[in-house]
Amino acid sequence: MSGKMNRRSFLKVMGWSGAGVALTGCDMPTTVTLEEGKEEVVSYLMPEEYVIPGVGVWYASTCTQCAAGCGIHGRVREGRVLKLEGNPDAAVNNGKLCMMGQAGVQGHYNPDRITSPMMRTGGSLTPISWDKALGVLEEKLGAVNGDRFAWFTGSISGHQSVLLTNHLDAMGSTNHYAHEVVNNAVSRAVNQDMLGEANPRLRLDKAKMIVSFGADFMGAGQSPVQYAGQYAKFRTNKERGLLVQIESKMSLTGGSADLWLAIKPGTEAVLALGMANLLLNKIKISDAGIPADVRTLINTYDVTTVARITGLAGDRIQRVTQLLSERTPSLVLAGAGVEGQAQGYATTAAIMMLNHILGNVGKTIESAGDFPFPQLMAKQGGTADLVAFAEAAKAKKLDAVIFHGSNPVYSAPKSLGLTEALANIGFKVAISQFPDETAMAADLVLPMDSYLEDWGTQVPADQAETNAIHVQQPLMEKLNAETKGLGDILLTLLKQRKKDEYGQFEDYYAYLRNAFAAMPTSVKNDAKSNDEFWNTALQTGVIKVDSGTKTLQSTVVSFAAPVVDDSAGLTLLPSPRLGLFDGRHANLPWLQEAPDQISKVVWDSWVEMHPDTAAKMGIGNLDLVEVSSAQGSVKLRVVLLKGMHADAVAIPLGQGHEAYGRYAKGLGVNPLQILDATTDAKTGELAMYSTRVTVKRIGPADSLSIVRMGTGAGDSQVGRKLVVTVPVEQVRRTEGT
Amino acid sequence: MSLDNILNHWSDYRKGSEDGGHHDYEHRWAMAINLDLCIGCNACSTACYAENNLAVVGKERFEKGQAMHWMRIERYWDQQELEHPEQGASFLPMMCQQCGAATCEPVCPVAATYHTPDGLNAQVYNRCIGSRYCSNNCPFRVRYFNFYSYYDSSWPEPMEQQLNPDISVRDKGVMEKCTFCMQRIRSVKDKAFMEDRPVQDGEVVPACAQSCPTSAIVFGDTMDDGSMVSKLWKKHQVERGVYQKTKLAKKDADLRGYRIFEELNVDPSVMYLERVREDI
Repeated sequence: MSGKMNRRSFLKVMGWSGAGVALTGCDMPTTVTLEEGKEEVVSYLMPEEYVIPGVGVWYASTCTQCAAGCGIHGRVREGRVLKLEGNPDAAVNNGKLCMMGQAGVQGHYNPDRITSPMMRTGGSLTPISWDKALGVLEEKLGAVNGDRFAWFTGSISGHQSVLLTNHLDAMGSTNHYAHEVVNNAVSRAVNQDMLGEANPRLRLDKAKMIVSFGADFMGAGQSPVQYAGQYAKFRTNKERGLLVQIESKMSLTGGSADLWLAIKPGTEAVLALGMANLLLNKIKISDAGIPADVRTLINTYDVTTVARITGLAGDRIQRVTQLLSERTPSLVLAGAGVEGQAQGYATTAAIMMLNHILGNVGKTIESAGDFPFPQLMAKQGGTADLVAFAEAAKAKKLDAVIFHGSNPVYSAPKSLGLTEALANIGFKVAISQFPDETAMAADLVLPMDSYLEDWGTQVPADQAETNAIHVQQPLMEKLNAETKGLGDILLTLLKQRKKDEYGQFEDYYAYLRNAFAAMPTSVKNDAKSNDEFWNTALQTGVIKVDSGTKTLQSTVVSFAAPVVDDSAGLTLLPSPRLGLFDGRHANLPWLQEAPDQISKVVWDSWVEMHPDTAAKMGIGNLDLVEVSSAQGSVKLRVVLLKGMHADAVAIPLGQGHEAYGRYAKGLGVNPLQILDATTDAKTGELAMYSTRVTVKRIGPADSLSIVRMGTGAGDSQVGRKLVVTVPVEQVRRTEGT
Repeated sequence: MSLDNILNHWSDYRKGSEDGGHHDYEHRWAMAINLDLCIGCNACSTACYAENNLAVVGKERFEKGQAMHWMRIERYWDQQELEHPEQGASFLPMMCQQCGAATCEPVCPVAATYHTPDGLNAQVYNRCIGSRYCSNNCPFRVRYFNFYSYYDSSWPEPMEQQLNPDISVRDKGVMEKCTFCMQRIRSVKDKAFMEDRPVQDGEVVPACAQSCPTSAIVFGDTMDDGSMVSKLWKKHQVERGVYQKTKLAKKDADLRGYRIFEELNVDPSVMYLERVREDI
């Protein structure tokens, strides 16, 4: 141990400080020596015991394709990683993996990766050496006044997050902007206020009925594999779970609903209040804990009014509400389309209130306990930080920024004026694997390791039954000599500021070894030595963390009355999808060629409309149209789908890249660009689902308009017995479910 | 199988499934796919691309029907008379059904597609001359033809490093299709042989079943009575063999198991379980 570091700063450096952690006093770590860290070249003539040419070996690591943090196993043969599968030891994904996780190898082996540091000289980015790059970093960041420096990232957790926070501290700044397009920031705010926890543990598997207001929990959600696994249990329980999905555009989850209801966009709060009205006034459930103003608000929404506003049939609303009161415990969820409204907080609160009324809190919504290492917990992104960052840049409050794991130049609506405002920031650094739009706008680009080459720890925000830290380890040698891991870059930056504290760590690996050695015995289980603990952690990829048991509070907060926009026009839904997600996976050819789950389109952008809406405007399937908002317009093809509300049009996210390599560049359009910059008053999150648009036909369909899988006969089974649907009563008789 | 061999044993080769087929089977690999759990997420399909060196063909060739998705998710809209699809979408994972009486096999002029002792329709890439008769004869449309060489377009450097060395990359002029992850079956069988024991149920897991987030796909050997897949087939009264036999065997017509295009008598190795919906 370096004598310069006291115990408290040691804990902070290592990320283990926090409530209720007992550290052993005597088991202080030793620094890895040069001898231990050195590289050796081993000939296959004398292979190591565990390397057998021709035999694949599976190693544990962690997926970073989205923020869910699923555990993975990577098959390594002759030093190359070939295939990824879910890690059965990781409770979050239970051995399963989604399409984005499967395609992780294509990011790793992507032909368009950045292979050397680049600096902007004379207007264009030119390759430079790492020494030069680090020199520039030290010089430029050294000259920045603390609070004029910022980090701009996606969701980030684990020891990388610890180092990032520590680097901000060292710089004397508090500006960490975390941006995610696909986020649940509004739900987190509501949960924090009503339940006392931002990320409670959802138990879909314990629910007898789920009513989802546009929550695509199995698709582009926060932890799709976890919730799909829970969904499987929900469906195969002794009493088969009933799923009602209420949304304006059919999501992947909506495709599996027993009852899918198309609701007029922006009227979800009205429906939730109407259902509360039925539960309290008709079914006579106790209104205990509901504030008087909310109670009054509820009383104003009788079924007739709600049916008129939402466009849903009154008897349908009554039936669903009745069933909710009978099938307990149930679970009511709010999704992106609800959170992303101009009154996102109020709408989400109205929906979450139903869980309180139905007594679901504590049954299908549990406490996730107190995670003992708050420094390691995920700092989850949202869009409020994107807005705040754009404001800060416009107000010339920033001189230097480092981007990582987020692509704001692509995903910020034009109306935020971010691209222009970036010119106000003198020094922009991008730590990136790919030449994405943000990297191309940076002054210094640092090439990053893929997640299959890098060390790290990830703490899933949506933890499964057992809380855990997931370990990320390199599955193979770096493909490019010049790339560096995020942890290593952070450590280098910290060494430039605080040599005395961080100088002892040769690299991020050494830092992690130290951090693991310093872990409290409570998580080390029965490991006899630090080496044994380290090896076990790498083998299993999972460190289970006991977070105790805790009871959630169940309260209802006051929220604003719904405001329904009755003006004519169509609401634009920029819908994320499992696959290209928020656009970050547009450079993975497997995911480009995988048909969109609902429309079955490949390699393109399209706008989804209900056939009735299109017919009124004289628009036919696959016609070319112009979709215009007050902020701009995009030209793309129409796909007619009945899984749409007549007042909504949806443009799936992911395409419209102006950079980002050969697979992504120049394909389709980016609907994020034409969104209004409206924000939710309470949380400051962008109201991404409230932009009004008009659609105008500008051209007919042609043969290569839109490429879809299997479009014959309007996607009907034309009487063939392909997918047979049977009523649940029949299955109850034959299988007793 | 030399040409002489084929000609001499042609009638054996053509022996019908109703007469027990032409093989003393060692295994009969099969699947049970629960459509009530399939959420149409594409995890299986992408896992298949990763495992089986499937080429990415791009938009133009996809449009011409040249995509190589051995495992694809078909999506159907029922209730077409309604304003909205109120019971959601009907998803169907479709891959080679490894028929016991496969229509693709007898039409191959060079016996490039043949029946293995494992009950699989195997494709001998080296023998295939690209007549495409098999594809033409397949009622499930699950055979995929390499109209081009995809070495450069699908795997630009260094993407070729991801290719699975356990199986080949197919070249122009060759038919290919789902193999039930033959290479995984092979390695498990080899391991069991070396350890002088039978293959255990659950040892072979194809990439699609491995990845499926809802575990909708169960894979196993229907010759092993104790296997999960056997139990599911029995529970749902779906039997190997041709239509009439199955028809007689199924005492309870309300059970959810069925094989697609049963009436064609091709004896598919994939049993689907009907999708369930609660009408409220």
